[in-house]
Amino acid sequence: MSTPHHKATGWKALLFRHETVLLLVLVMEWLYFNSVGRHFGSLDNTFDIVRHTVEIGLLALVMTPIILTGGIDLSVGSLLGLCAILFGKLWRDAGMSLMVAGLCTLGFGALAGGLNATLITWLRLPPLIVTLGTYSLFRGLAEAITHGADTFTNFPASFLFLGQERWLGIPAQAPVFIVVAIAVWLLVHRTTFGRSFRAIGFTPEGARYAGIPVERRISLVYVLAGIVAALAAIIYTARLGQAKADAGTGYELFAITAVVLGGTSIFGGIGSVHGTLLGVAAIAVLSNGLVHARQPREVAGMLTGGLLLLALSSSVLPKLLSGLRARKSAANVAPIAHQTTP
Amino acid sequence: MTKSFGAVRALKGVSFDLRPGEVHALLGENGAGKSTLIKVVTGAHQPDGGTIEIGGCQVAHLTPASAHELGISCIYQQPALFPALTVAENIALRLEPATVGRRVNWPERRARAQKLLLRIGAAIDADTEVRRLSMPEQQLVEIACALGAGARIVIMDEPTASLTQKEQHLLFSVVRDLRASGVGVIYISHRLEEIFALADRVTVLRDGESVGTNKVDDMNEASLIKLMVGREVSQLYPPGDAAPREVVLSLKNLGCAASGVRNVTLNVRAGEIVGLAGLVGAGRTELARILFGLTPADEGELLLNGQRLTINSPPEAVAHGIAYVPEDRRRHGVILEMPIAANITLAIHQRLFPGAWLRLGAERQLALDYIRDLDIKAYGPEAPGGALSGGNQQKIALARWLATKPKLLILDEPTQGVDVGAKSEIHKIIRHLAKEGLAVLMISSDLPEVLGMSDRIAVMRGGTITALLPGGSLAHDVMAAALGQAEKGVAA
Repeated sequence: MSTPHHKATGWKALLFRHETVLLLVLVMEWLYFNSVGRHFGSLDNTFDIVRHTVEIGLLALVMTPIILTGGIDLSVGSLLGLCAILFGKLWRDAGMSLMVAGLCTLGFGALAGGLNATLITWLRLPPLIVTLGTYSLFRGLAEAITHGADTFTNFPASFLFLGQERWLGIPAQAPVFIVVAIAVWLLVHRTTFGRSFRAIGFTPEGARYAGIPVERRISLVYVLAGIVAALAAIIYTARLGQAKADAGTGYELFAITAVVLGGTSIFGGIGSVHGTLLGVAAIAVLSNGLVHARQPREVAGMLTGGLLLLALSSSVLPKLLSGLRARKSAANVAPIAHQTTP
Repeated sequence: MTKSFGAVRALKGVSFDLRPGEVHALLGENGAGKSTLIKVVTGAHQPDGGTIEIGGCQVAHLTPASAHELGISCIYQQPALFPALTVAENIALRLEPATVGRRVNWPERRARAQKLLLRIGAAIDADTEVRRLSMPEQQLVEIACALGAGARIVIMDEPTASLTQKEQHLLFSVVRDLRASGVGVIYISHRLEEIFALADRVTVLRDGESVGTNKVDDMNEASLIKLMVGREVSQLYPPGDAAPREVVLSLKNLGCAASGVRNVTLNVRAGEIVGLAGLVGAGRTELARILFGLTPADEGELLLNGQRLTINSPPEAVAHGIAYVPEDRRRHGVILEMPIAANITLAIHQRLFPGAWLRLGAERQLALDYIRDLDIKAYGPEAPGGALSGGNQQKIALARWLATKPKLLILDEPTQGVDVGAKSEIHKIIRHLAKEGLAVLMISSDLPEVLGMSDRIAVMRGGTITALLPGGSLAHDVMAAALGQAEKGVAA
């Protein structure tokens, strides 16, 4: 196989290059903040970054298969808030044990994700519209339950351990995140489900004609997002020691930013979970590092946006340029599609 | 005049002339080259060879804009008007130059539109919004546009396809008026009776070649049909298996109101290729979509191996052993962005990957096997489907469904847009599969293919099967049934 391979591995190569660029950005971020801020590189601060990132990271992980199918879920941040309230309510007012309340919350997350899935697959409404609706609905419910004022506090220390203490030397929520990350990675990269997600993302009609149960696969990714949003809500509550109706406000946009920054195409089909992890890390290190560099918080937003645009254009620009070159020399390019395998 | 697309020559040295004040009909099977010829004349495509002369002057480089200036207008089946604008506005959009900052002279605009409409005898108010007009009224507006643009050549592409009998007569009288005023009309239609009612001369295209221009008065229906199909069926088609086996698929009065298919009764046996012939829009693809669960049937019975089934989704169809290689290869048959290997295994996830875990080695091996067996020309299983030629893409689509080891294989235009070499290879593969005991239902608009490949031929028209013909039937009979000229029923 001496023939040029760039067409076969085109998008894979692109993804690889993208992830390399992102890794480079991450290292440069780290080196810069380490030289500017005095405590940035310390183990304590690293764990601090981890603690503050786990919830958004979880949302970004489950946002990846959704965007791979060509969908989007704007409701995960609101659902996090609603689940936090529900969790507190079940524990404090319904008298459930934390374990039972947690399981019920996870179940509710699945139901809420199922609502999104049903509206998208049965009514064939665009995911953007459906989750824009549930984005308001879930947040509104959380506010209605608490009348905008009630907060849940005084959780026992054994529960707060999950959000604030270390276990085996690392933040206690980190193992949860690692388990979810591995599970989502396997789902997307090593199972037929991941294949189906990509096929649907490339062309939903083509996937249907291939006999893929498109509706069931789409439902799966939204239900999964609901469950993991509920999990993130529990971890969030344990980290802050309180559950409020505004928990997780704006998290959906951080999650989407991380996924896109990680190289997943917003049109679906192309992307990776490890890319998303790099995207999450790049955003987390940036916002934490800016605090250490004594920069105002709003700079973080500007720089995240700049980083996103830069990372995206860095992967598209070479393709664009080579496309222009190819068009210029189209006349004398030999077709490579008709080569045989040896 | 020559026109090629990729490896397929769509027009081969066609000569065509149109005189002022005549209606010249253009006739041919699906894919005979009618549309291509029209696209060349309207400047949408550039011919690869040959010349175009208009009014005695040779036109070197015809573009849509210059065709418009030269007075060439085309009226399509579906009028291309803006529904929310009035008739006068629509006509003005076509005729008035687009200059910025020019004031609209409303009275003049309206007067001109009304004058044009009067000229063709249309009782339409220029202030009516186009969406309030019926289909033939909209076509009249199109004709008015053409007249207003000073058209010398008007092309009508199956203008009566969606019209009622009464509306047709209105259209015909307008066409006759056009002729009387010295306009040349190129009239395309599948309906022979229209050609006899309207046209002065008729040119028949077949496989991109003109097989003759004749005066309509010298022709009759039989001689026209003969001209359309009249070639010997190529001997290149692989011979069939004489002994039919057990019935695999049995349809009894099957129908689906949503897709316009009704009362379909058909048997397909193991080892048999049943060709499904008919014109575009006869309901053939719609029938395939019902069998594959894309638009579930709402009446009648469907039996597979004697077992009564309802199929409500493609996964159910796949589970029952029904495979469908769709017509639109690039949109439905192959996922262009995905590697060959992933494309081939897309429909056999459950069998090849137990527990849903991908086994990339096994997948690669399977893909290599199909690349070898079907002689797919690609540089490896990791090549994306979009990098292959049409014929090789079709083989991938075929491989995907062969991998499911189906009982019934439905092929929808299996060699459309495929070059000659790949076409005969695909034919050999299909015949080989039938010999191995597969039941094959093959939809094709390629008449020689239907005649050459099929053990039996079912002809569809208007959403139902109107004729069942034996394998060795004459092209004339198939075409006559498809056109509705004679309703022949032969017992299945």
